[in-house]
Amino acid sequence: RQHLIATGQTGEVKTATVEDVRNRLRWLARKRREDAKEEVIDVDARLEMARE
Amino acid sequence: RDWDDDVEEADINAVDDTDGVDPEAEYAAWKLRELKRIRRERQAIEEAEAQLAEIERRRNLTEAERE
Amino acid sequence: MAKTEGYHRADEKALTDDRGYRGKLIRGQNPALLFEKGVRDRIIDSYYWKEQCFGLNEATLCDRAADLKYIGGTSGIMGKPTPFLCLAFKLLQLVPSRDIILEYLNFRDDVEENDDDVKAERHENGDDGAALNGTGIPDLNAQGKLGEFKYLRCLAAFYIRLAWEPVEIYKTLEPLLTDYRKIKRRTKDGFTLTYVDQFIDDLLTKDRMCATSLWKLRPRQDLEDLDLLEPRESPIADEIEDMDEGEADDVQVVSP
Repeated sequence: RQHLIATGQTGEVKTATVEDVRNRLRWLARKRREDAKEEVIDVDARLEMARE
Repeated sequence: RDWDDDVEEADINAVDDTDGVDPEAEYAAWKLRELKRIRRERQAIEEAEAQLAEIERRRNLTEAERE
Repeated sequence: MAKTEGYHRADEKALTDDRGYRGKLIRGQNPALLFEKGVRDRIIDSYYWKEQCFGLNEATLCDRAADLKYIGGTSGIMGKPTPFLCLAFKLLQLVPSRDIILEYLNFRDDVEENDDDVKAERHENGDDGAALNGTGIPDLNAQGKLGEFKYLRCLAAFYIRLAWEPVEIYKTLEPLLTDYRKIKRRTKDGFTLTYVDQFIDDLLTKDRMCATSLWKLRPRQDLEDLDLLEPRESPIADEIEDMDEGEADDVQVVSP
């Protein structure tokens, strides 16, 4: 399980720095934009298919 | 997922939190809320001032009576 | 500074150990005590806490916060805690540094760097400050310019209200009174619509929010009298002046 690795099974989790937080948020923002784009492409593709 | 089992799709979808659908209306609605806040603050200040004035008035009265 | 500690407990054992708590204090007490006992117990018993909050740190907590769909305290007859409330409790466990909380509150993705695609796209969608200014709507921080993840922003604001000092609370939260983005709020038996600015105003003026009693915040006026705060300047102050001169008191304000 991911969290067991993350915690190293020691019951501890590493403290994050403000840079870690910023990078995480950037990554999440990018992911969200890409998901939104994919959804648009998805809808377009479906419309295209319906037309054909 | 187990933890959000009890959220009914219909319930959560009954409220739409999409921003920028009607920017003018959203801004106008905010302005009204902001206006009410400002009025509320002013009213609180006026009430506090009135209270102070009243205390002052009474104190002056008793002093006058003492003389 | 960040190097001094290094690790958090992955679970809540240390946090809920009444006698043995040795973590950071908030106003001289164990931060967990800012939530009521019943609420704490229900959080720790919840699936969301056990499955989604275990082992989070300040950075991975963002994954959960980015998925938040609503704010709120508890819901239903069982008083089930919302994910929002569980994450707030996690913050009370982590006691993140000031910088980190401000990052949650004001994060802005600087896509300018090299992502011309995205920039162009945002422009087309009218998602850009400049484009909106064209319509005559002032560019407050509501257009996703600051605090891009609005529910994370609310979460940070809630934490600040609980954990910070009065002057800092006013200084940090009042700028958000211009953020008029919509948010969903879970109530006991459903969902209602509110706004970031409304939520902030509630945090500053109410004594109970999200199933949590908010400790008594010193009134703004007191802090102004002590010269600890400048009076708040509303972005529509000028407009109000004009209105007052014109039509006096025709807007009825019902005091809460």
